[in-house]
Amino acid sequence: MLYRTNAKSLFITSALISWSLLLANVLLAAESMHRESSIALDLPFVNNFLIVVFIISVFGFQRLSAENLKGIDFIGYLWNIFAKGGIAAYLSIALLMVYRMVTNYSSVQSPLLLHMVYQVNFGLLVLFLAKAFYVWRQLILYHKNKFIQIAWDWYEILLFATLILTLLNFNYSSLIFLPLLGLIGLYTLFLCTNLKWVAYLTFNKKGRSLILLVAILLACYIFADFFNGFADSPLLVIDYSDVGFLLLAMFFVALYTLASFLVALFSLPTSSVFEQKSEDLLNFQRLSQSIQQGQSEKQVYDMLFESTVKASDASAAWLEIFKGEKKDEIELCHQLTIEEEQIKRIRHLLLAYNIQHIDYINNNLDRNPGFRDLTLPWKSLIILPIKSKKHLFGVLYLLKDIEQGFDRETVNVLRTFTNQTILTIENLRLVHESLQNERYKEELKIASVVQDSLIPKKFPSDSWFEISTYAKAAKEVGGDFYDFLQLSESRIAIIIGDVSGKGISAAFHMAQMKGIFHGLMQQDMPPSEFMKQANSALSRCLEKTSFITSALYIIDYRMKGFMFARAGHCHTLYYNSMMDDTFYFQTDGLGLGIIRDKSYNNHVREMYYDYNPTDVMVIYTDGIVEARNPQNDEYGEDRLRYMLTQTYHLEAEDIKYAIINDLLDFTGPTENLYDDQTLLVIKFKPTQPSE
Amino acid sequence: MKITNQIKDTTIIITLDGELDASSSVMLDEALSDPEIMTYSKILVDCKDLNYISSAGLGVFISHLQRFEDAQIKLIFYNMQDKVRNVFEILGLDLLMTIVSDYEEAMTIADE
Repeated sequence: MLYRTNAKSLFITSALISWSLLLANVLLAAESMHRESSIALDLPFVNNFLIVVFIISVFGFQRLSAENLKGIDFIGYLWNIFAKGGIAAYLSIALLMVYRMVTNYSSVQSPLLLHMVYQVNFGLLVLFLAKAFYVWRQLILYHKNKFIQIAWDWYEILLFATLILTLLNFNYSSLIFLPLLGLIGLYTLFLCTNLKWVAYLTFNKKGRSLILLVAILLACYIFADFFNGFADSPLLVIDYSDVGFLLLAMFFVALYTLASFLVALFSLPTSSVFEQKSEDLLNFQRLSQSIQQGQSEKQVYDMLFESTVKASDASAAWLEIFKGEKKDEIELCHQLTIEEEQIKRIRHLLLAYNIQHIDYINNNLDRNPGFRDLTLPWKSLIILPIKSKKHLFGVLYLLKDIEQGFDRETVNVLRTFTNQTILTIENLRLVHESLQNERYKEELKIASVVQDSLIPKKFPSDSWFEISTYAKAAKEVGGDFYDFLQLSESRIAIIIGDVSGKGISAAFHMAQMKGIFHGLMQQDMPPSEFMKQANSALSRCLEKTSFITSALYIIDYRMKGFMFARAGHCHTLYYNSMMDDTFYFQTDGLGLGIIRDKSYNNHVREMYYDYNPTDVMVIYTDGIVEARNPQNDEYGEDRLRYMLTQTYHLEAEDIKYAIINDLLDFTGPTENLYDDQTLLVIKFKPTQPSE
Repeated sequence: MKITNQIKDTTIIITLDGELDASSSVMLDEALSDPEIMTYSKILVDCKDLNYISSAGLGVFISHLQRFEDAQIKLIFYNMQDKVRNVFEILGLDLLMTIVSDYEEAMTIADE
């Protein structure tokens, strides 16, 4: 930035100095020519050098300032040329007139004044050309490609190279340079075909740009006329029409202005088409961006209706949106110059033809007797259903008062609009759904936490037995559970259960079971009685296809024994240290909720067992024994039993880890469990509490 | 899971092939809910190719058990793999449902 400001002020300074020096030099020469023509102080090289410095300074300055022009405000560009360059031309003509008036009035020939005017005009000309040159450059390079950029860069270099001719005081009009000039002329002509910006002007802007272009052309003419008039004038000591660069620059500026003028003029009739297209494009963008902008479905439909009516230039239209899944709930959400009565009649007719929800175009309604009878003021109709593969969102109806109103081109645009709308609506719904899912996930997380709190983390630590637990749910919430209740000082009830199925419904039943356990066991009943009452309670609230397996143990350390009943739950694994034997308790017992009447009472057995110190009891759910490896084999009761024979001497915690590690070895690393897994290891301790 | 029906006079033989898990038990439920099934006097379930039964699958049989009993329709399982039979036994269903070793036995029981 600093560099640019510095460069700019440098250019201004050098321009001012070179121009002033040039003026001084010219006036000096004029004065000497006027007075004593014998001693003509002819310093062409100095003059030429100053001219070149001035031109380069002004062009350099304009080149830097033109780079500020950005965006598509082309009128602003043109105005820039006119206001800053074109005015120079009118100033110069005014100056000339003042000079003429002064000389006519005083009827004195003043060569000094003439030179002054000539010199000022030269300055204005260079200013104008530089301004126009670089604004046109910006416009030529609008939507540029690499080729145009290179072509322009070379053109600029070539043009400035002609300044060397001036510097060396060559006469460009000599025959040698004519072909070269011709080539440069062709080059200029080629560059002048880059007029993409004109297409972006709307009709109104084209009109305004035409006026500005005429003004610029006029400026060109004024300058050309002025310098042409003074070319080879005997009155002047210097002739700027000899500077080939100026001529070429003028040629370029004028030609490009003319080309722009003509193109703008002749594209006036077609500009409305282009305007429509660019508006369509803009509407597509708006539609597709409406998701990011968090717009509602209604706003999307608003946009669709507005855009399609504009794109097709329809004279009447309406949009129906289907609410909910059923197609009979129609909401008439937009209406344009059509009565509800007319809509009703048309819809009735379409229903009769059975073409209400399909793509349909009728470009000559009068030819159809049904539509003719309706005596509608329209002659063309198009029906555009807004539907995806699965869903019908709505139907758009457009009417036009001319025949063949919907040509293929228009229909394509309309279809693109409806397709984009479908995409947008579906995406909106997806976004909505995913938000909803996110919320469900959050709620599931909460459920998971709640359920986790239902399972006791710590058993009462007693010196007469130790217990270790493991629980893992296949989903966020599961159907496995275990719990305990201290019945008296020496008795504790432990329950394990498994609700059929998984997920939320299983989790609810599990919570229910926990409630039943705590409710019934307050009354301290034997396990078989508990099962009967639990079955009776669950019969009334369990779904038909659901059932619960459970096992209840009441351990009495004073009696050194435990009582238990099994309701369809996995057999209890037991290690008897006295016999040094591992076995499953084979007792009968039907799952809860399978028989929902009194006859259940015959299906549950109770058992009492005396335990020895260091006996081990393993309680688990079917998720453990039915866990599978990649070969689809089940872990099985035998392997579980084998594990206990290997580990019974360990502490309860270590037995549990040994079993779980073996289970993980067996199943391999799996992210998704097939079923909930729960494992309880109870080891009776040799030391009894001292009383 | 493949469920096929075979009809012999007043007996319908349902053959289960594959794994009866939560999703396939829906199919089984549909098959057993068919009102036409109530027109037979015996339902034989061939479990030869039933490799696995989940609690959901058991739940379907349990939920229809009472209905069949009330209509005096006999429900008999046969050719059951040990693995699957063990699941029935643990749950105590072997005392509620008739599970026999093969087809002949099933037919003789059914004809009683």
